[in-house]
Amino acid sequence: MIAGALYYYQFHSWWNRLRTRIRRLRQPKYLVGAIVGGLYFYFYLFRGLASGRHGAPSAAAGPVLAGMNDLPQTLAAMGLMVVLLLAWILPHSRAALAFTEPEVAFLFPAPVSRRTLIHFKLLKSQTTILFSALLMTFIGRGWSGGHLLTRALGWWAGMSIFNLHLLGSSFALTMLMDRGFSTWKRRVLILGAVAAAAAGIFIWVRHSLPAFPATADQQGMAWLFRYVAQVFESGPLPYLLFPFRLVVTPYFAVTYKQFFIALGPALGIMGLHYLWVIHSNVAFEEASVELSRRLAERISAVRAGQWHAARRPKKAARPPFVLRPTGHPAVALFWKNLISTGQYVTMRVWIMLVWVAVIVGFSLNHFAGGGLGMMATLFVAMLLVMSLFSGPQMLRNDLRQDLPVADVLKMFPMPGWQVVLGEVLTPAAILAGLQWLLLLCGVIFCPERLDTYPISLAQRLSVALAAAMVLPFIDLVALLIPNAAVLIFPAWFQLGKDAPRGFETMGQQLILMFGQVLVLGLSLLPAGVAFTLFLWGGSVLHWPLLGVMLGALAAAIILAIEAGVGIKLLGGVFERFDVSGELL
Amino acid sequence: MACLIVSDDRANRLQDGLRRPVSALFMPPALLWWGMDIAPPPIAETAAVPPQIEVAGLTKLYGDFTAVNDLSFSVRPGEVIGLVGPNGAGKTTTLRCLAGIIPPTRGSVRICGFDLASQPIEAKRRLAFFSDEPRLFDYLTVNQHLTFVARIYSVADYEQTGRQLLEELEIADKADKLPVELSRGMKQKLAIACGFLHAPQVIFFDEPLTGLDPIGIRRMKDSILKRARAGAAILISSHLLHLLEEVCSHVLILKDGRKVIDGSLEEVRQKFSEEAGGGNLEDAFFRATGESKGEE
Repeated sequence: MIAGALYYYQFHSWWNRLRTRIRRLRQPKYLVGAIVGGLYFYFYLFRGLASGRHGAPSAAAGPVLAGMNDLPQTLAAMGLMVVLLLAWILPHSRAALAFTEPEVAFLFPAPVSRRTLIHFKLLKSQTTILFSALLMTFIGRGWSGGHLLTRALGWWAGMSIFNLHLLGSSFALTMLMDRGFSTWKRRVLILGAVAAAAAGIFIWVRHSLPAFPATADQQGMAWLFRYVAQVFESGPLPYLLFPFRLVVTPYFAVTYKQFFIALGPALGIMGLHYLWVIHSNVAFEEASVELSRRLAERISAVRAGQWHAARRPKKAARPPFVLRPTGHPAVALFWKNLISTGQYVTMRVWIMLVWVAVIVGFSLNHFAGGGLGMMATLFVAMLLVMSLFSGPQMLRNDLRQDLPVADVLKMFPMPGWQVVLGEVLTPAAILAGLQWLLLLCGVIFCPERLDTYPISLAQRLSVALAAAMVLPFIDLVALLIPNAAVLIFPAWFQLGKDAPRGFETMGQQLILMFGQVLVLGLSLLPAGVAFTLFLWGGSVLHWPLLGVMLGALAAAIILAIEAGVGIKLLGGVFERFDVSGELL
Repeated sequence: MACLIVSDDRANRLQDGLRRPVSALFMPPALLWWGMDIAPPPIAETAAVPPQIEVAGLTKLYGDFTAVNDLSFSVRPGEVIGLVGPNGAGKTTTLRCLAGIIPPTRGSVRICGFDLASQPIEAKRRLAFFSDEPRLFDYLTVNQHLTFVARIYSVADYEQTGRQLLEELEIADKADKLPVELSRGMKQKLAIACGFLHAPQVIFFDEPLTGLDPIGIRRMKDSILKRARAGAAILISSHLLHLLEEVCSHVLILKDGRKVIDGSLEEVRQKFSEEAGGGNLEDAFFRATGESKGEE
């Protein structure tokens, strides 16, 4: 009877959610989002399937893995073992099943047995597992050579067992806590056992296998893979990995016959886990209530775009500087948002990062030679380019964070442009700081010559200084774009706890991202033209470094003007922004 | 409180009505000691003093829906006006428009003589708005909230004022705590401390007693009347009619976004009571809004 009510709730919740989302498509913004999201899914996931390339088994493995088809399976088993070990080591609180707040309110006081609640939880988790298994089947279509169906079922079996094990281990740990077995004692015991096993394996490898050559790279990658496979497949490790291999084997089965042979033991393990979970008599209700509350807060914060707030601050962060009571009010917003970054953006952290960069850089060039230094420089350059695009998306301590409290900001006696300036300053400053750090790394890592071409310190410094001049203004312009988008199209941003989800909203985000890249490109065009002209002039006059510096200065001035105009315009938008129409 | 256009006769009646502590009008004798303690400011001259809040033809539309319709009233220094009405009457929308949070569709709002639309900075510098749910920043401590607000409003001597406020509100020992570590009542107190830090001349309260314990309610009432005595113009939106009877000098009843009546408590009570001198604000409210009491 009760179970029927729970199934009814689960099915109708799912069905009503689907109907709401279909009905929502009447609004153009969701329809367009759905089309774009659908196309994305089609091209990314289903196109290969539709052309029949991924339904049938493929000849797995490249040349490296030829003859070592077992290695991915072994690595997967190893990964699973590590994750499950962590599930026994890391937890420090009582078992808690994640229910939503309404579920807690309706089910916990209802005449529902604990076992029924666990069954409900397991049933509910199957929705997520089935969806995840399907998604992973498409995403990881090249990871194994099996059929589509066997891969999907393999993922499902693996994820279900994993889910059951997490639940069972949390119950077991709670029972240990109830018996007075402290968390630290448990951790020491498990880590001790792991260390003993690792030492045993190491000793066996040292005595039984040929020594690992000092110049491994000369032997080629194939040799390395074979060596690793040998370690995994002989000695004590295969016995240790055996139960974990049983779980992952169905996914790696190439034929249906192999799959069904592998599925039997996996289902057996699943059944044992189910019995373990269902017969664990652990009081999880109290911890579940607390978890549900925290989960609701976290979901609300994440949907509001406040990823940092999803982890509520546990202790107060030290102010980055002393805020005097008089002066430009925009500084107050800058100060506030810097505090919101927590303990990560402090002067101590920056100094430490600079020290690490200096030490690593000099070590690379001194001990490892120029090749590694150049690789590190290229890596730094790649990070710099990435920071321009992903930095403004990741650092959101601006209007995107504060829009849910836009009513509070609107009450402040500040013109709109000051609010916008104060809001974008924090991510701009952090991003510029990171980029300057990367530039410093680049200067230090860069070798003094590349093949026969010398790279003088003056050249390195000039390029770094030019970049250091331009980058903060590019950041400011880049950050203004998402902040403008959030003010002009607030309905397209995920705000408030009832913000919509689904692939139509993913489509919306794709459109926004495309728009942001386009607008950024257009904004950078005038500065880019000015920089190129100066660079060309410098080359013609045989003063290339002067050309770089002057070009950077001109570009910085143009970008600063663009940022200033943008802040002023956006301030006007903020002043006209009707909080009631979008957020309240 | 007086309408924008107030006849001499009405102004005189208002003055008469306001000479007495308003809380004493409907308060049982046993509670009069409290009324004495929190006697409203001497406001005999208020009709001559220019209004701190002037609202003319305020209208707010949400698409086709009219949330507030052609609302006009004014509030003078020392006056405490209760904004009442059934759910959906437009009380919160009115307060949000007056606080500059949302723009009105039509009409004008002047705060201390400054037009909220054309001189928003000067107007906002003089007002404070307290929503029913305290709006705080999760990552700022109690002290950091005060520092932040002081900079926004340029309160040079905020440290002493802030300390006094925290002590008055009995959260001085929580100065280094984050909002997540405070109870709901304490969060409300912190919001009040932040709002009072710049000594606002105009104060808007939206359901100020939500979530407060009896002591907190008493302190809040004290605080409201203390500010009024100091010359602030106060507008309170609340469903707790007995609270409004205790602290308000005037009342404005809204229904479907329109003003049903405004005037002193005595006036409103007399106009809507069946027998002269009888009834209370609750009776007047039900008659004015055409609603019926559950038991009737």
